[in-house]
Amino acid sequence: MNQKDIPALDPGTPAILEMNHISKTFGAVTALVDVSIRLRQGEVLALVGDNGAGKSTLIKILSGFHHPDSGTIVYQGKEVHFRSPRDARAQGIETVYQDLALINDLSIYHNMFIGREYHKRILGVKLLDNRRMRDLAQTHLNSLGIQIPSVNSTVDLLSGGQRQSVAVARSIYSSPTILVLDEPLAALGVREGAHVLGLIQNLRRQRSVSIILIVHNYNQVFEVCDRINFLHSGEIVLDASTSETSEEELIRIVKSGLGRQAIAAAALEVGPGPDQMARINPDQS
Amino acid sequence: MARTGRSSQGAAPKVGIQLPNTVLERALVILSRYREASIAVVALILAIYFQVGSNGAFLSSQELSVVLRDTGRFGLIAVAEVMLMITGEIDLSVGSTFSLAPYVMVLTSIGWGVPLAISAVVGVLLGVLIGVVNGIITVRFRVPSLITTVGTFFLLQGVVVSIFNSQPIVAPVQEPFNEIFGENLYSPTDSLWSWHGLTAFTPFLWTALVVGAMALVLNRTTFGLHTIATGSNIVGAREIGVRTDRIKVYNFMIAGAFAAAAGVINTAQFASADPLAGGPFLTLQAIAAAVIGGTSLLGGSGTAIGALLGAFVVATLNNGLVMLGAQATVSDIYLGTAIILAMILNVQVDRMRARRRI
Repeated sequence: MNQKDIPALDPGTPAILEMNHISKTFGAVTALVDVSIRLRQGEVLALVGDNGAGKSTLIKILSGFHHPDSGTIVYQGKEVHFRSPRDARAQGIETVYQDLALINDLSIYHNMFIGREYHKRILGVKLLDNRRMRDLAQTHLNSLGIQIPSVNSTVDLLSGGQRQSVAVARSIYSSPTILVLDEPLAALGVREGAHVLGLIQNLRRQRSVSIILIVHNYNQVFEVCDRINFLHSGEIVLDASTSETSEEELIRIVKSGLGRQAIAAAALEVGPGPDQMARINPDQS
Repeated sequence: MARTGRSSQGAAPKVGIQLPNTVLERALVILSRYREASIAVVALILAIYFQVGSNGAFLSSQELSVVLRDTGRFGLIAVAEVMLMITGEIDLSVGSTFSLAPYVMVLTSIGWGVPLAISAVVGVLLGVLIGVVNGIITVRFRVPSLITTVGTFFLLQGVVVSIFNSQPIVAPVQEPFNEIFGENLYSPTDSLWSWHGLTAFTPFLWTALVVGAMALVLNRTTFGLHTIATGSNIVGAREIGVRTDRIKVYNFMIAGAFAAAAGVINTAQFASADPLAGGPFLTLQAIAAAVIGGTSLLGGSGTAIGALLGAFVVATLNNGLVMLGAQATVSDIYLGTAIILAMILNVQVDRMRARRRI
């Protein structure tokens, strides 16, 4: 579970996703101003920033839940417009939202398969294949080492950690191309948190899925991420690989007056890193 | 009450799923697990009570035919109301749709000489259209369905009474359409097991068929799953890709279609289309049936079978008390009490389930 276990991502790896110049306002509230992020194939990108910085809005635009006022999304080399989360899921982008999007009145296995149900035909009528979904859900949860009382029980009977685990398990069931995790560790205890971090590390080791991770705990960021984007007041103020920055620098950014100029000055003071432009714009590095 | 079975064991876990402690909580858990069964028990007790009270007249084929026909009428609308209530919406316009659809059916049949069977389809499609309008106003313009459908209720009621100054119109009788869809050919000399005997109960049988189908839809289809998801957690459902707006509109369409079909069956029975056949009272009786059947307005849970059982309870109270010599209006006191008690119970059962979540 150490950073050193996993070789660094080849810097020449092509981007799987580019969100360019995304802006979004909700009525009088400006959530995002000209935000661009770039995710490389197999990369784990951390999106950090204070509450209200716009992290969740950004990923909800990626998942098709919100629509950007302006800006483009280029996914697998093509410009895409996700009209709904259904669209994004169909194209291999899975999201674990902060609220987990679990349906309390449904069983765990129905929650696992909602939106991609298995059917069987009985007398020509398309009915849910509950047995198949139940078995597949059980097998999948077992393979991830997630322990729950029974896949038949409704999710309202689960503890916070179990709910989080089920939501993460659901998101990786279909082997997505991009996995977005919004605070996947928020409701978890130390042991459960370590388990989810372990799942992310495993995915990262295989480099088959690209991950955007929203986390609050900077310690955890450095454990599992390749690169960090710092979002403040709807703008990206830092873009650096984990090896180029440090926890102290992140904390300094949070504490400093913020805004781009202040950050630039602060970043230069920190010293040995590459020059400031490279930090703001990774394309030139 | 202070010493319960669990706490007396000493080693009761402090975290995790809290098992029910008090007798009341246990009863609520059993109720939540066997909702239909508990309403069935209530229905059975009522039937026995009226059977004894009326010296055996209640379960006679004549009286039962009346009660089950009422059950069919309330039940068909109630099951659609259950579907809507599961999504967290409600349709109060069903009482007008019930009057308007058969009125239009009879007018098209007489005016254009179309067979009743075809104009009945026109009537039901009109119900579907009303559902689309209710649904779109509710999901697109974000008007609460309670208000939307009060509006469409008055609008449609006004339309149907203004066509012929509130006059009922005589409907043509075309066999086998009428005898299949509600006309009662049963007379005391007939065997109950003949075709004529069967026609005594056709509205009920159609409703039972539809309720069975809706139970299947709710529990075994993607549409049912998404209907529950929409009412249980609308934001979460949307986030995971459920098209909640569509699901709501579809359920409004079902409500319109079923209310129209119930009206068509009513007209086939009486060979008359009365602009005042439905009205607010029918709407409320159907909602009462849904509520007594164990569906709360909170969304996410409800049962189709419960709607039929609830409809039977409403029909039994309506007819049984009159049989026992009470004024027709007295039955409303019992009905009102039953609705309130059922609703308290439904909400408590839901809260009970919520409280078990840690």
